[in-house]
This record gives sequence, structure tokens and C-alpha cells, in this order.
Amino acid sequence: MATIAVPLGAQGEQVEAEALRRPALSEYLRWSVDHKIIGVQYGVSAFLFFIIGGAMAMLIRLELWTPELDLIVSGAAYNSLFTIHGTIMIFLFIIPMWAAFGVPLQLGAKDMAFPWLNAFAFWLIPPAAVVVLLGYFVSPAEAGWTSYPPLSTLFSGDGQTLWALGAHLLGISSIMGSINFIVTIFNMRPPEMTIWRMPLLCWAVLATSIIAVMATPFLAGALTLLLLDRVAGTTFFDAASGGDVLLWQNIFWFYSHPAVYIMVLPGMGVLSEVLSVHSRKPVFGYRMVGLSSMGIAFVGFTVWAHHMFTSLQPELRIPFMITTMIIAVPTGIKMFSWIGTIWGGKIRLNSAMLFALGFLSLFVIGGISGVMLAALPFDIHVHDTYFVVSHFHFVLFGGSVFAVYAALYHWFPKVTGRMLNERLGQIHFVFTYFGFLFTFFPMHVVGMLGMPRRVAVYVEGFQAWNQLISFSAFVLGFSTFIVIYNVIKSYYHGPIAGANPWRALTLEWQTTSPPPPMNFDDDPIPFEDPYGYGTEASAAYLAVVDEAFSNGSTRASEH
Amino acid sequence: MTSYVDRQHKAKLGQPSEADLRLKNNRLGMTIFQISWIMVFLAMIIVNWQLRFSYSEWPPAGIAPFDPLGPSAATVALLLSALLVKRGLQALRVKRIGGFLMDWRGAMIFGFAFMAVIVYEFASVSDAALATQYGITMRLMTGFHFVHALAILAVMAHVIRNGAAGRYSGDEHDSWAVEGTAKLWYFVTLAWILFYVVLYWIR
Repeated sequence: MATIAVPLGAQGEQVEAEALRRPALSEYLRWSVDHKIIGVQYGVSAFLFFIIGGAMAMLIRLELWTPELDLIVSGAAYNSLFTIHGTIMIFLFIIPMWAAFGVPLQLGAKDMAFPWLNAFAFWLIPPAAVVVLLGYFVSPAEAGWTSYPPLSTLFSGDGQTLWALGAHLLGISSIMGSINFIVTIFNMRPPEMTIWRMPLLCWAVLATSIIAVMATPFLAGALTLLLLDRVAGTTFFDAASGGDVLLWQNIFWFYSHPAVYIMVLPGMGVLSEVLSVHSRKPVFGYRMVGLSSMGIAFVGFTVWAHHMFTSLQPELRIPFMITTMIIAVPTGIKMFSWIGTIWGGKIRLNSAMLFALGFLSLFVIGGISGVMLAALPFDIHVHDTYFVVSHFHFVLFGGSVFAVYAALYHWFPKVTGRMLNERLGQIHFVFTYFGFLFTFFPMHVVGMLGMPRRVAVYVEGFQAWNQLISFSAFVLGFSTFIVIYNVIKSYYHGPIAGANPWRALTLEWQTTSPPPPMNFDDDPIPFEDPYGYGTEASAAYLAVVDEAFSNGSTRASEH
Repeated sequence: MTSYVDRQHKAKLGQPSEADLRLKNNRLGMTIFQISWIMVFLAMIIVNWQLRFSYSEWPPAGIAPFDPLGPSAATVALLLSALLVKRGLQALRVKRIGGFLMDWRGAMIFGFAFMAVIVYEFASVSDAALATQYGITMRLMTGFHFVHALAILAVMAHVIRNGAAGRYSGDEHDSWAVEGTAKLWYFVTLAWILFYVVLYWIR
């Protein structure tokens, strides 16, 4: 099964000097309106936040090694630790981990529709991060990343105010980025690329952006109320003055549940790309996959109150239970498409593919525990336990982070012009996959046994489970060093990738690696089917492109 | 060498010029922004609506309802202002720069009249009302709208200054700033009408 169809870099080869024509590292530290620079800025800064948030997770796991408080001085300090862990991972890592590098290239565009806005949206993130992290060191927020009042209004320090300000900025950044993506996807495609010839990553980003522009304003609204309650003395969340704490939950989850799909939909798009390219087979049910992204976006707006099952009016519970279960349908379409895509393909088991398969196997577990949680009686039983923690780490780490890694191994050659080390990538996969599995799978068990989340002190009987979880978490944390080493080493010494090392048909591979300043030297013509692998027409298309790049003598290298 | 770009095919399909594309992008971007940002105003309406359930009647017992007379006059002023903005934009399209400037200056005067009434209404909420969500949500909504109106009026003043300096020929490619500002002002008008109905007429 594990046949490598084409030796890496054998065709579409570039001369070394040309592949080294990439931006100086200092360019990445400056304001730039080039989406290729901004894409890397997004990716690298998000990964830095991932490391900070991950280090906090390690502290949390270290604290939970024993049932008593030992490492962390107080319950309040523990509260602020998991609050900032969640905030960093969600608002600073996964949501901004955007496809700014890939989308214009896949569309055959020169840049985003609004290059300046693209840069501005990115540069809102560092100040927002400073504000949020400053809050952690001043007097930390303690109310969890969901910031439920009255915890966030009456019992949390000034860091909570800074938290809300930072989240506000990040929301604005997210809206501006999304407007940019939608306009780019609608207006910047070459005329030959109809909406039904668009790569699935673009479909996913389109759906994601639609969610972001429709939902994020609700976050802005909720944060405005929270800020006013904390600073201006209003009483929106104070029941004593006619306020309502459920008001926050309603508005916050009306944003934050769709935001879950903001986090995972781009990953699903990545998966469709990677599985198809490395199985050498067309995507199974292309149109349905594109439409299922839209389906998820649409149904995602109707399920928010399942986060409030225990505080919701009883007559509203069943409708939300039903809509929540319905969202498994478009997700299931994607699942079957992925399996259908790799079925009988000539699979290359390289690092990108391994992480994609890892996503597939872990996300299905997260999806199933999601349907379990959607079932009202079960949800009330495991409400606020480690079962919930396990579920959302399976979808956000097993889903989104594995997709981020798959994307890294898949597109790193395009971004830098050099290949990542394959062996290190596979070692990284083994550590990540098993570290992840043994960290989060046992949480299902302790959760069902009743261990509550967000506590530093627990019943002694859970200690053995928690030590297994913590040990695996340290393995998972260690795996990050492997990929960091691999990236740094390969950036300087990796083998030259060439224009199209994977023999892929989408447009980003039909230009040099890294692409020239305006992405394409000609106006590119997309192949009639972005995933039409294994046909004679696609072989002919790739041959023509290869010829254009052979000997480094194309127009691409004459600049 | 065969180019992989089929140029005849490309010519047949025809592509918009850079300037056309930019205008097309700006217009779509503005539409998406408007759809997106109206959601914050809808969120505020939902806040108002949900908080009503904390009380058995609305306005709460013992609180005098707001007098809709002043806000109604302000709404008329705002609508007139939006109409003048539209008329000014049409004048600009037929290259009557003087007409455009006059209409937009008029629009700004009506805009400020609207804001003056709103400031008065904001300031004159009774203490009794402010002790309940009836007064607090009113201040939230009018205040939130006020910030937007003020920002767009500042942009309008900037556009009028540029227009007086002869920056816009009237061709739609070099006067996107005018068109965009007009669309933002329509947005402010629509947002206010939603708030006006919720605050003063739905009991």
C-alpha cells in the first residue's frame, strides 16, 4: 500500500539558486502587505502562542500529578492558569491560524483583495496578545475562557477587563480577515475557475469566513456589555438589578459555538487537499464536500444553547438537542468523503498524510463523543466533567492541530522552497499521536466516573488515571520540540523542493517554490478538476507545467 | 515551448481592468461589512429583548415610558440627512461637484441635529429608569449608536474637505471614498431605525 508514486523532486525541478530566492527573515518582522509574508507571520506567531499555551498546559498537568495543591499556590492561581491557557489556544492560536498564505495562491490570484487590510488584521493580534497576557500578570482573569458572569464580573481581577479588551481586538481582526477572504474568493479567481472548480480549502475558508462575519459581532456585543458592567457600573448581568446572567451565555455561545467551526473547518479543507494529493485520487463527492462546509456553517448557528443544557428552559432543550445531532450529517458527509477518497488510492504514507490520517481517526472519536454530549440525559450526567474536556480536545487538538501539522508538512516546501525531513516528521507523528491519545482518551473514563473539570484538587482514587494523563501530556509536549527542530533545520538545509514535489494539481503548485512576489509570472490556467488525479489529461497538464519549469529557464526565473 | 496559459481562451473570457476589479472588491467588501456589523446592533436588540423578561411589564412598573416625540423628530432629521447624502452622490455622478458639496453639508447639519436630540435624550433619562434595565439598555443602545454616527460624520467631514479640494471628478473609480461614506451613513440610518422602533414603539 505504501508506494511512493513519484520520487520527490524528480520532476518540476528548480535550480538551487532560484529556490533560495526567498524573503529575508527580517521581512517577516516588518509591516508587509504581501499575503505570503502575512501568511507566515500568522503561522509563526500563532505557533508561538501555541507553545506558550502548551507550556501552561504542562503546568496544569504537573499540578494534577497529585490530588493536592502543591505546585500552584492557590485555587485562584489554578483558575487563572486554565483561563489563560484556553484563551491563548482559542483566540490567539486556532482562530487566527488562517490560510492567508494558501488561499490567493490556490485561486491563482496575485494577492488578497485588500492587501493593506490583510496586514492590518494581522497586526492587531500582537497588541491584543500583549493586552491579554498583561492581564495575566496584573491580576488575572479567573473565569475560564468562556468568562461566565458573575464569575467574570464580581470575582475576577482587572485582568478580566484587559482580557475583554484583547478579545475585542481579536474579534475585529477576525472580522476584517474574513471580509478579505470572502471578497478574494468571490472576485479574484481566474475566469476559468468556476465555483465548482475551486479547491476545497477555499470552500472551507469561505464557509469559515461567512461564520466569522456573521457571528463575531455577537462576541463584540457580549464583550461590550461585560466591559460596561466591569467599568461603567451597568448591571446587565446582575440579577439584583434586573439583569440576567443567562444573557451572557446566550450571546457568547451564539458566537462561540459557530466559532468552533471557525476553528475546525479550515482543517477539514486541509484534509481534503492532503488526502486527495497523497492518495493520487480525486476527492470523493467533491460538490457534497463543498456544500457540507456551507451546511456546517448554516446549522452551526442553530445549536448554541446545547452549551447551556443545564441552565436552559426545559422546553428548549429538545430542539437544541435535535439541531446538534443534525450537524453530524454534514460532518459525516465529509468523513465518508475522506474515507472514499483514500479508498483504493496509491497512498504515500509521508508525514503530511500521516497527520491527515491521524486527524481522521481522532476527529471521528471527537465527533462521536460530540453526539453523545448532544444527547440531553448523557450531557447532564457528564456536565462539567473531564468527559467534556476530552471531547473538545479531540476535536480541537485531534482535529485542528493535526490539520495544522498536516498543512505544515504539505505546504512547507511551497513556503520555503525546501523539504522537511521526512524521518523526523514520522517520529514527530508517532510521539504526537500516541501522546495525544493517551492524554485525552483516559479523560473520557475519569469524566464518566465524575471527575469535575477546572479543579486542582481531586479525589485520590483518580490519581493513577491522572498520572497516566500527565505522563502522556509530557510526551505530547516533548513532540513539539521535534517539529521545531525539523522546521529550523530544514529551513536552512532541507533538500530543494522544486515547484511541485507532490505532483499536485491545484494552482499553488504551478508556480515556483517559494512563489515570486506576484505569485505567478503568467495568469495561470487551472486544470479543469482540481483533484482530477490519475487521468491522462491531468498527466498531460502536469507535463506541460513541468516543461515550463524545467532547467530553471522559464520566465519565472528570468526576473 | 508551449505556454500553459491558453491566451486565446483568456481573451475570449475577458477580464476586468485593475480599477474595475478594485471597485468591485470595495463594493462587495462594504456589503459584507454592513451585513456583518449590523449583527452587533441586532445583538443589542436581543439584549434589550431578553432583559424585558426580567420584568412583568415593560417599561417596569412605576417607570414613565420615554416620550417618543423628540426621537421621532430626530429620526426624521436623520432620514432627511440620508436622502441628502444620496442626492449628493447622484449629483457627483453627473459631475456637479457644487451640488454634491452643498447636499453633503446639509446632510451633516441634519446629522448633527439628530445627534443633539439623542444626546439630550441620553442625558435626560430619569434616575428611576436608570435603576432598571429600561433606562440602562436605552443608554447602551443610543450610546452605542452615537459612537458610530459620530465616527461616520467625521469621515463625511473629511470627504467634504477632499471634495472641496477637487479630489473627486465624479467618475466612480476615483470617488469610492464618497460612495463608501454614503453607504456607511445609510448603515447608520438603518441601524437607528431598528433601535428607534425597539426603544420607543415596542412595549
